[in-house]
Amino acid sequence: MKIKGQQTLTTPREQVWEALLDPGVLARALPGCQALDPVGENHYKIRMKLALAAVQGLFEGKILLQDVQPPNNYKLHIEGAGKVGFVNGEGHFHLEKLSDVETVVHYEGDVRIGGMIASVGQRLMDMTSKMMIRKFFVSLKEILSEQ
Amino acid sequence: MATTTTPTTKGFVGKRVRRTEDPRLITGTATYVDDVTRPGMLYAAVLRSPYASARISSISIEKAASLPGVSAVYTGEDVKAVGPVPCAGSMPTLRVPHHKILAQDRVYYVGHPVAAVVAIDRYVAQDAVDQIEVEYEPTECVADPEKALESDAVRVHPEYDDNVAFTFHAEGGDTDAAFAAADVVVSERVTVPRLAPSPMETRGVVAEYDEGTEELLVYSSTQIPHLLKTQLAVQLSLPENHVRVIAPEVGGGFGSKCNVWAEEALTCFAAMDLKQPIKWIENRRESINVVAHGRGHVDHLEMAASKDGTITALRFKILQDIGGHHQLLTPIIPTLAVIMIPGLYKIKNFTADLTGVFTNLPPTDLYRGAGRPEATYVLERVVDKLADKLEMDPAELRLKNFPAADEFPFETATGLSYDSGDYAKAFNIALENVGYDSFLKKQEKARSKGRLLGLGISTYGEVCAFGPSPALPAGGWESATVRVEATGKVTVMSGASPHGQGGETAYSQLAADALGVPMEDVVVIHGDTGKVHWGVGTFGSRGTAIGGTAVHLALEDIVAKGKKYAAHILNASLDSIQFNQGIFSSNEVEEKLTFQELALEAAVAQKLPPDTEPGLSATRFFEPPNFAFPFGAHICTVEVDGDTGQVEILRYIAVDDIGNVINPMLVDGQLHGGVAQGLGPAFLEEVVFSEDGQLLTGTFMDYAIPKAKDMPWIESERTVTPSPVNPLGAKGVGEAGTIGSLPAFVNAVVDALSHMGVEHIDIPMTPQKVWNLINERSQS
Amino acid sequence: MIAASFDYSAPETLADALRVLSDDPEAKILAGGQSLIPIMKLRLSIPSQVVDLGGIIDLHAIAEEEGIIRIGSMTTHEQVEHSELLSEKCPLLVAAASGIGDVQVRNRGTIGGSVAHADPAADYPAALQALDAKVKVVSSAGEKIIPIDEFIVDALTTALEPDEIITEIHVPTESTGIGTAYETIVQPASGYAIVGVAARIGLSEGNISFARVGITGVGSKAYRALAVEKALEGQPAKDDTYGIASRVAAEGVEALEDLHASSEYRAHLATVFTCRAIAAAAGRAQ
Repeated sequence: MKIKGQQTLTTPREQVWEALLDPGVLARALPGCQALDPVGENHYKIRMKLALAAVQGLFEGKILLQDVQPPNNYKLHIEGAGKVGFVNGEGHFHLEKLSDVETVVHYEGDVRIGGMIASVGQRLMDMTSKMMIRKFFVSLKEILSEQ
Repeated sequence: MATTTTPTTKGFVGKRVRRTEDPRLITGTATYVDDVTRPGMLYAAVLRSPYASARISSISIEKAASLPGVSAVYTGEDVKAVGPVPCAGSMPTLRVPHHKILAQDRVYYVGHPVAAVVAIDRYVAQDAVDQIEVEYEPTECVADPEKALESDAVRVHPEYDDNVAFTFHAEGGDTDAAFAAADVVVSERVTVPRLAPSPMETRGVVAEYDEGTEELLVYSSTQIPHLLKTQLAVQLSLPENHVRVIAPEVGGGFGSKCNVWAEEALTCFAAMDLKQPIKWIENRRESINVVAHGRGHVDHLEMAASKDGTITALRFKILQDIGGHHQLLTPIIPTLAVIMIPGLYKIKNFTADLTGVFTNLPPTDLYRGAGRPEATYVLERVVDKLADKLEMDPAELRLKNFPAADEFPFETATGLSYDSGDYAKAFNIALENVGYDSFLKKQEKARSKGRLLGLGISTYGEVCAFGPSPALPAGGWESATVRVEATGKVTVMSGASPHGQGGETAYSQLAADALGVPMEDVVVIHGDTGKVHWGVGTFGSRGTAIGGTAVHLALEDIVAKGKKYAAHILNASLDSIQFNQGIFSSNEVEEKLTFQELALEAAVAQKLPPDTEPGLSATRFFEPPNFAFPFGAHICTVEVDGDTGQVEILRYIAVDDIGNVINPMLVDGQLHGGVAQGLGPAFLEEVVFSEDGQLLTGTFMDYAIPKAKDMPWIESERTVTPSPVNPLGAKGVGEAGTIGSLPAFVNAVVDALSHMGVEHIDIPMTPQKVWNLINERSQS
Repeated sequence: MIAASFDYSAPETLADALRVLSDDPEAKILAGGQSLIPIMKLRLSIPSQVVDLGGIIDLHAIAEEEGIIRIGSMTTHEQVEHSELLSEKCPLLVAAASGIGDVQVRNRGTIGGSVAHADPAADYPAALQALDAKVKVVSSAGEKIIPIDEFIVDALTTALEPDEIITEIHVPTESTGIGTAYETIVQPASGYAIVGVAARIGLSEGNISFARVGITGVGSKAYRALAVEKALEGQPAKDDTYGIASRVAAEGVEALEDLHASSEYRAHLATVFTCRAIAAAAGRAQ
């Protein structure tokens, strides 16, 4: 599943960059994230409990940040698996400076879903991924506004 | 032989007799596998791979095994002594990778069985399945049969140097010369997606091992109990006479239960290991995922013709997606497409090249129609294209290429001998019924107003009533025993294994007419290797033509034996004995003998002729000399909604010829269901996988099988050309509708859009696909 | 397809049901079960307890009071479909109900369950948007009446708190001079709408005096097509008007994409079915 979009934040680019690479911020902003523990440089173990209405799934996996080019670009590699299936994906984030106080986050990626959730949840995949992205940016904006 | 007379109806045969099976089915008193319970029975559940291709690094069963109520957890290592899942293919190039009943080191497709749990109930069994920890090392996979053939494709089975499972070549005449001499050549490439057979009852097994008698009793929802018995004996290294297979009520199969499944041997292995009866019932997700998908073709057909519309040659290429393993008949099925590629047309030259290709997808195998829908589909598409190219009426083109009624038996370039037929007659009736000429005028008028009307023709033929034994891997005969009880009641035992078709009704009709007894006096027993000693099964539209003929022959023997007894008892000459409506009589004596009186005499054996044995029973085998070849014409008219791409079927005309008919109501049911299963893939059905081999249509929320409301009213009519290959004159009806219907719909939709330059649309023709095309054309 | 184990309770009063919910935060309400049971059987949902509201008689009534029809949350789709009161006074809801799933689904599924689940392709939300419906929810702390567009927050997400229960859906009795229609194209496997459009159109002297358009299936949640409504109001009631207004049916909406319909196709269908629904509704208003 291809994912592509952009979000404009009223925060200077450097600050957005720091937030996006801060495990503490990610842990709060990633929907359902229960734990994000560093295991190396730009390498984290993650536990997420995804909940959507009555649907719940526990996923464990890892996050890798690659090709990190502050404050412009990085690649996010994510792998997670649980009883209901697995999710693997790569995303490319590009931060565009719109003004001193405005930043556009461009994201583009490919998510591969497997196992049971892939075979039963087709109808809900697209909206779920879009909703998770929305939630992520809502939380991110909230965190940034606190700073 | 091309007579087209309706058989005389006396008694029950030929009449719309209600199904004797139905009272128990509709009152919920029938016994399916899941209704079978045995004392101390445990339940099995299977863990399946979420990956299309992976190495299994480790399996940890401790958590699962320690759950209260869990009796056993099996992995591939535990069951490695069980023999492989069989494949009956025998072509010289065939590669048959070892098909273990549980994966050991590698998984080859999503849904590949990895481990099994046996527990006190199915809930605990599922809990335990969730607790098995498997570490997979995913590897690159290939989920597209065309990509799998590319030179740099990853190999599904690393032990082979490419993904070719087999190749098969056939030819007749001189194809190259015919193409060189052709005035016109047309071609088309079609894809026929995988279909999930989706019987109403999923698979299920109950296995019980008797330590005392060392007998393994297996209940399985199968179409082939006798073949399964033999195969289980082989897989489990048991003497065959220690295995009894019962196919109780079977809720549909459509070919998917004409197979030998890993889960059958697995359940038996566990029952023998634990010495407790075990039930395994497949869930719907497993059914859609792993029950061998039908079709899975990429077909290419090239057609040569002369200017006058005579079709002279075909070049046919089939790519058959095998999946990760073969099942029982996987490599054989597409060969049926090869032999039927000339369809109803007199085409003297052909070449066919079939390539089976391994992919990281679940296995494919037979599904209603099995190879013949694919052949008919591509052929009828290309015939329409030829008509287009020649600017000839597609009906006229077809009529021009049919063999005439007096040309039968008709020898095809593919080596078949079509038994009997009058193709033009059936087609002309269909054209008449649809009002062909007036529809074309109506279409023209509608087009001028921007409405999109289309008419699609499919004239189809099929090979069925399988079949002569030399043409099948495990016998093409069928057996029947008729036993007359002392009270005159009649027990028919058939080696066929009907599973929804109404075979019990049809066989009862035959027996009731032959013996002059009420249908209620007849009991039909089938699907139990302990009761019916020989059998092949029900598949390939053979239940009546082959199974019914065996019953018919046994009934003839009963009558002959009865006459002999009657002559002695009545003190009349054998030649003078008449048997009518259940009464033995002779013009030599006044006295008569009812069938029931004779039955009692046969049992008490006090007045029998000295040179006879007591009892009134007969067993016969029928070995057909040839296949039978039903045919027909289906015509569909549609209107396409240009704004949405939705297709409405306006009319659906079916004229089928399946030879003599025992029960028109059963035949209507078979045709209607067949048409539905042919139309399903035309506009709805498709098993979809992602590039990673992930199943995306894993439930009926995404996999669309046709529902009653999706179906048109089928205006059905029949011509009757009895088959000379069996004494009943029956051809077979199980698959005819499925084979005939798909091209009619597709041709109709393409016709509706032809003035926009649309030449082909791949199935399923979903509204989105149709709208996309319309949208592109109207923008360009 | 085998659910994990769970407790089951069937309270006979709303108060008892609310008590169970506040005692057990992992409990799930069972209304008609048409969405919950399948996901439980897939073990995508493993609630500690299922609270069956079927025994609470108060939740089954349909009654009219001062121009408002109160529909008990446990009213089945079949009951809505065949309600004489609704047929006469709120035909739009009847039209939406009669297109839901199949007969079996309609016999079990409830309006409260549908609204609480907030499936982005469900039929009811489009009609409820067009009807300016309200949702009455009750908790041990009291009751709230929430407009439908505030109630449905996002895909499968509502304003309903875990300790709250929907008790009623409020729809207006239809005014004279207003015509309604629900037009839909369904996904053939699931029966869910790919696009469903509910329209209420009022006419005055040949012009459109009132327009409400609710659309389901296109975006993450059902929405009011405000731009369409605006383009209609005050315009002459004729096909051209409907066609032009419908062009903006999916404007500003990120159309969903799945196996059965691309986002482009969905957005296109939104315009087609909006036009059809408006034309049908206007036809009935005349």
